[in-house]
Amino acid sequence: MSENPFEVLKEDMENEEVYLKVNAMHRVKVVATLLGSDKIKSQLIPYFETLLKKEDDEVLFALAEELGNIAQIIPNQSICLLTLLEQLAGFDETVVREQAVRSITIVCGFLADNEIANTIVPMIIRLASNDSNFTCRVSAVSLMCPLYARAGNQKEKIRQKFTELCSEETPMVRRAVATKIGEIAQFMDKIHVIQDLIPVLKQLCQDEQDQVRLLCMESLMNIAKILNSGENKTNILPLIIQSAEDKSWRVRLALSKIFADLAEAVGKEIADSSLIQIFSNLLKDTECDVRVIAVKSLARFIKFVSPEKLNLIVPLLQLLSKDPFSQVKQNACEVIGQIATLLPKEYSQSKLQQQLIDLMADDNQDVRRNAAKSAGQFAAAIGPEALNQFVPFLKKCMDDPKWRVRKETMQTIIQLALTVKNPDVFNKQLESVFVMFLKDRAAEVRSMGLSQLPALIAAYKQEWAVGNFLSKCVETLSKDVGSLYRINALYAIQQISFAVDGPVAQDRLWPIVQKCLKDTVPNIRFVSIRVAKSLSKKIDNQQTLNQIKQAINELIDDPDRDVKFYAQEALQN
Amino acid sequence: MNNKAASSKQTPAVRQQPQATTTTSQNRTPQPMIQNMARVTDPKHVPKEIRDQFLKKIHFCSQPYDFNDDTKNVKEKQERSQYLQELFDLLKEPNFVVNLVVPHLDLIIEMIEKNIFRPLPILKKTATNGEIGMEDDDQLIDPAWTHLQPVYEYFLQLIVNEQPDVKSLKIFITHSFIQEFLELFDSEEPREREYLKNILHRLYAKLVPRRKMIRKAINDCFYTLIHETYKFNGAAELLDILASIISGFAVPLREEHVIFFKTVIIPLHKVQTCQFYHEQLLRCSMLFLSKDPTLATFLVEGLLRYWPFANSAKEVMFLNELLEVLEVCEISKLEPLIPKLFKRLIKCIAGPHLQVADRAMCFFENDYFLTILKSYKPFTFPLLVPVIAQIADTHWHKVLQESLNALKTILKEIDYQAFDKALNNKDPKYLYIIQDAKNQKKDRQKIEEKWKNLTKQAIQKNPNFKEPIVPYSDTHIVGEHNGLNNGNITIL
Repeated sequence: MSENPFEVLKEDMENEEVYLKVNAMHRVKVVATLLGSDKIKSQLIPYFETLLKKEDDEVLFALAEELGNIAQIIPNQSICLLTLLEQLAGFDETVVREQAVRSITIVCGFLADNEIANTIVPMIIRLASNDSNFTCRVSAVSLMCPLYARAGNQKEKIRQKFTELCSEETPMVRRAVATKIGEIAQFMDKIHVIQDLIPVLKQLCQDEQDQVRLLCMESLMNIAKILNSGENKTNILPLIIQSAEDKSWRVRLALSKIFADLAEAVGKEIADSSLIQIFSNLLKDTECDVRVIAVKSLARFIKFVSPEKLNLIVPLLQLLSKDPFSQVKQNACEVIGQIATLLPKEYSQSKLQQQLIDLMADDNQDVRRNAAKSAGQFAAAIGPEALNQFVPFLKKCMDDPKWRVRKETMQTIIQLALTVKNPDVFNKQLESVFVMFLKDRAAEVRSMGLSQLPALIAAYKQEWAVGNFLSKCVETLSKDVGSLYRINALYAIQQISFAVDGPVAQDRLWPIVQKCLKDTVPNIRFVSIRVAKSLSKKIDNQQTLNQIKQAINELIDDPDRDVKFYAQEALQN
Repeated sequence: MNNKAASSKQTPAVRQQPQATTTTSQNRTPQPMIQNMARVTDPKHVPKEIRDQFLKKIHFCSQPYDFNDDTKNVKEKQERSQYLQELFDLLKEPNFVVNLVVPHLDLIIEMIEKNIFRPLPILKKTATNGEIGMEDDDQLIDPAWTHLQPVYEYFLQLIVNEQPDVKSLKIFITHSFIQEFLELFDSEEPREREYLKNILHRLYAKLVPRRKMIRKAINDCFYTLIHETYKFNGAAELLDILASIISGFAVPLREEHVIFFKTVIIPLHKVQTCQFYHEQLLRCSMLFLSKDPTLATFLVEGLLRYWPFANSAKEVMFLNELLEVLEVCEISKLEPLIPKLFKRLIKCIAGPHLQVADRAMCFFENDYFLTILKSYKPFTFPLLVPVIAQIADTHWHKVLQESLNALKTILKEIDYQAFDKALNNKDPKYLYIIQDAKNQKKDRQKIEEKWKNLTKQAIQKNPNFKEPIVPYSDTHIVGEHNGLNNGNITIL
């Protein structure tokens, strides 16, 4: 009965379908556990050697991953796996070598520092010096980062090799170092970062390939994080300036993308004094994609500059809100909303309010949507007293032909209502817009309003719900506008019922529902049943309760199947 | 002399106020420089003012303008194209080329670089307002193209021209020049790529000392395509150039070229966008094989290795190529590939795509292929006969069913005994290829049982042992690792 695990593996690997071999390879863990370290070395590893030459990439990819798993089974002897992994790290297929690099890192986790210095570092140098296969050199670059910290007295060797690879002719290798230079810097002493890495970073930032320069951007930010303000000023700032003027818009785009993080990394002082100017140029870039991304970063960037410098951004925003490209405007809306919370009220009112109002009437629906969203933020920032300036436009947005705009506006109104919490303001300004959800022709908008109704009732209490809102529901119910609107109104009444006390439910709500139970549309009848049911939980008066019960009872023989079902269900419990 | 004095007066005036173009254009006949030059009696000695005028025009053409916006700098742009035309006309006069163009090649190349070495634009579809329901416009046109075209034409003629010799040109064609030049091949504008191709082709032909460098840069381009980006608009054009380079290779091939074949030409087949350049790739492959037929087996191996998945159009291409390549192969060398080859063909024939099946059937009309089939009869018959017999009975398409029956007859004619033996085999080994998942599962039962036992033992030995996750299950062949494992895709 007892199988020889190694034989089972070999048998399954004989299979001709690649995917079955991959499956078998992923079960190597089982085999390795049962074999133990001696047999892994004497049987399994030589067997894997034979696979390297003949197997498909998919199988080798699985092998590369499983070698990492085997290392966890024999942590003390995992060094024996390295020969295989080194070969895999030089393979042509990208996924195989990347996986091999990951597994080597796992193996290294089990090695002592002196083993790293004596075995791993020479291996990295070997890979890095392989002139015929650029794939080896790329893998070496990825290995240097995680292992540099543990290289002991061999650190210098790695540093030297790394900087050497930065001047490679092969673009693939230069791209690899450009991606990793920020990462390896995290593990180096600062002095080495400044002495060794900054010069090559400068060189990479001027590479003839825009791909390389582009990849430098992220690294630039990572290095900026570990330097202090003075060092950033002398080393990083010139590179930022240079990249912002790069002739390739792809590089400028990459820079725009990380600009907020970059501002955070170099600190407020430099951001205030130098970055605003650079960023302004990116916001005015000739390439619209750069502007789109730059404006997107702007929303976060403004948090990293001091408030008094923000007025430099405002004129730009005015410009961007008139951009010919709609995506720019769309992102600008967001920034206008954000910046209003940071600027003095009067200032944003005088400089940006009109822009935002214009954007709410833009030709593009996404712009209008974002503008409506930001209008809430903006209005909340400048205070309830200015609300009346916005409400007419929000009302207009509720007439927008696109439901997404209306939904966003509805959300804005609700958010505003919940922030101001002032019954006066609400009744005068917002309520009339809010109740438009009852009559909206898009289900999304109606259910949006409905879902937020409990929060509003909680904020503005029973007085508003029964005093003002209820009549709007009744109005919808009485006008024969279509069954879906009436259902919506009924659900709104249900929401009201949760918040009121028994007598109100009995006197004000029940008569309405009672009428609806006799509606001609079956759907309204069964929704009414459900609402009536929840009313009955509030009401104590036995007489009314009987009335309810009887009304539902009448529906038990309803010609409609669903009504019958809900009536039965309601009566059962 | 009169004329000379007049023009010498004019030049500084223009220099002082370069915007005042109207004053110059009043005096200008269609080709003023040519006319001026025609009056020069001693071609070895070009008068200074003509030289100055020439340099000024080159300088003017080196200025960058925003070519995407036709409303900006209209006047300058007009003037620029006028100048470019004049510079172009100069190339027709050998004398001036020798005395005016060649001595200033540095400035001319700089002018060309400043114009064409630019970050490639992403050509936007006409719809800029993201409203839904806008129709896509397939035609992508770079608005700057009309302004770039004269520069490319000039560059091309400069290289074609016999006067600038290798020595003087060589200095400018550096590694970084070539690298930047090759990056332009990714342009989405087909006319630009056509020019790039022609220019690079001439450069390669002319600059013999730079050939190795150019080849290496092209290699890097392809490595990037294979290993990193998977898309490169100019791949077809580069392969076109390569085709003529390859046809110039001496026989026997140098090792460097063989490595190129193995590390670039074969892996290029696996790139997802292979369809866009397959025709050119096939040409390159066949040229290589005509130089060294022993490479054919490597290519067959590569094709079988990188066989497309879920892309029937590419599969048809692979089948076409495979048949062509097989004809070059030496039959005895094919032995290790025979099982994979025939299994692949059977899968294609039994597959759900009619065109693929049809293409695969064509193999059996090829005499050389039939010779291969015959040479490996002990393997091919037990594989083919039961499977073909079964699909011939059950195939859903009438025409294919007919040709499957015809194939049955062919196989029978080749070796009646072997056919009968294979057909009557009680336990055909390869029928699993066309079986459904359920049957396959039955076949796997025994070994799955063994694995289960072993896993139990492993858990006994080490209580912390976690059961391995097997990426492919029998109803779901798309594995975990390719990001498609979302449960929506069921293949088999």
